[in-house]
Amino acid sequence: MTSKTPKGHFNVLYFASAGSFTAKQMEAMPAPLPLKKLFGTLEAHYEGITENVLEHSLVTINLTYVEMPSGEDDDDQDIIIQEGDEVAIIPPVSSG
Amino acid sequence: MQNRNNNTIYQNGGTSSFSPSNGINNNSNPLSRSLTDEEFDRYSRQMIVPGMGKEGQLRLLTSRVLIIGAGGLGCPAAQYIAGAGIGTIGIVDGDVVEPSNLHRQVGHATSRIGTPKVTSLITHLSALNPLPTYIPHPCHITPDNAADLIAPYDLVLDCTDNPATRYLISDVCVLLRKPLVSAASVQKSGQLVVLNCPATPQGEGLPEGGKYNAAPCYRCCFKQPPPAAAALSCGEAGIMGPVVGLMGVAQAGEAVKILASGLHAIPSSDGATGQEEPGRERNLRQPTLLIYSYDLDAAVGPYAFRALKMAGRKKSCFACGEGSRARLTLGGIKKGEPDYVQFCSAPTARVTLPVEERITAAAYHEARERGEIAEHVLIDTREREHFSFGSIDGAVNVPFGKLLMAAAVASREGASGNGNGNGFVEKILPEEVRGKMVDGGEDLPIYVVCRRGLDSQEAVEKLRGLGMDNGGRRKILDIMGGMKAWKEEVDPSFPFI
Repeated sequence: MTSKTPKGHFNVLYFASAGSFTAKQMEAMPAPLPLKKLFGTLEAHYEGITENVLEHSLVTINLTYVEMPSGEDDDDQDIIIQEGDEVAIIPPVSSG
Repeated sequence: MQNRNNNTIYQNGGTSSFSPSNGINNNSNPLSRSLTDEEFDRYSRQMIVPGMGKEGQLRLLTSRVLIIGAGGLGCPAAQYIAGAGIGTIGIVDGDVVEPSNLHRQVGHATSRIGTPKVTSLITHLSALNPLPTYIPHPCHITPDNAADLIAPYDLVLDCTDNPATRYLISDVCVLLRKPLVSAASVQKSGQLVVLNCPATPQGEGLPEGGKYNAAPCYRCCFKQPPPAAAALSCGEAGIMGPVVGLMGVAQAGEAVKILASGLHAIPSSDGATGQEEPGRERNLRQPTLLIYSYDLDAAVGPYAFRALKMAGRKKSCFACGEGSRARLTLGGIKKGEPDYVQFCSAPTARVTLPVEERITAAAYHEARERGEIAEHVLIDTREREHFSFGSIDGAVNVPFGKLLMAAAVASREGASGNGNGNGFVEKILPEEVRGKMVDGGEDLPIYVVCRRGLDSQEAVEKLRGLGMDNGGRRKILDIMGGMKAWKEEVDPSFPFI
């Protein structure tokens, strides 16, 4: 099941420490947005989030893992986040 | 461990109906043995589940599982691993049972506080099911002992509590080709993923043309550890018992599934391909990451569980990707290469203030007592829940996360140097405190205290960065060592959590 999104937007879900950092569980952002601009867009809203959360998190679009464009892997693709998509920021949880 | 407890073999009327039916006809195959009547009685309810059967049960009875960590994950996981009749169960943990464990670590007991967790849990498991062989490993897993601990087992459950250990366990499982069921939980979140299953040799099965050919390891999923400061422990951040319990039970569920269906076995032909059912194999190469988000403020909602489709083994992975054989070896790990602690603690972005911007808890207390610090503002940056158990007289609670957010907003809007940090004060401080800071109180000193003395230093720097020191006229000081130091130096009865 994915979340409902306002028209012209996609939803971002913040899990674990991403939720603590933004003090939100979810919010809508204007779509479309190239995946490679996602971190920059979030950084503009939440200063420090790249270093503290995003760099070690995994990212999914519509419940499927996406590789953040880095140039390291050959199969980097220009993914565009579309209206109605659900993006999730998932930092590792380590404790137990 | 094979053919244990078979002194009273249930012959089932002497028929051969207990022989394996999957086409593997090998007389020395452990799956060809019979079940004892005790086993038959005990495991009947799970054996009759479609897909499990006698063969699945025999696979469990001949399997060896290593549970690393006998805590909030390890206890519930071990209960179901033992209950299901896994033949050999090893448990690794170097800690002793503490009262604060008991709300979630259901394998221990009040009467066993102070005893090693490994012994305590095995006592519990033996009462539950005396048939398995339990092997205690009363030590912490380290780069030096990891390979020796893991090697004798078929499958590993990572039930540990810190990033460095998680990377170590994953790396050794890649090298020894052991499937790894990894779970983690803190506060209100849980995660679960099956890694390295099937366990393809290191550096092989790399993706081609966007198609994954092998299962991922922990590093494929989480390349970088969180900053040391952000890696919350249950001791600091708290943990809800049912959240971690659920993840531990789910871990046992995945382990039983893998072992009963024989997916842990390394195919003799190597390559780990072409032997499993196509659909099943594809799923495991891109496993599901289960996320559990437990919202204390909401009823059970549609977002509580999410199943995310992960990537497979990555070409760029340090441990199992291209060229990994040259940089990660068992011998190297034993010699301290890579350095897991260093990897998970650096880089730290923590602020260390010069000594003149700090005051010890004892000095602050004495100065207050002597009246040397009159009117001032004392900000306590611990979480609201910690604050609620007790605080220094007159302290106002501004949780660190809220303070950072407000500081970031104020800094974007531009510091005005008017002593209130451009609206920062209005955003975070309660009215009665703000009232003290106007009409002559513009230069009132600010003291900041946190739990252990790290966040408070960063907070002091943020406030200064917003111009709240009024060009040096207002003192902004960090209380060194936080409320922990306050308890040690000033008030031993303070309820520090």
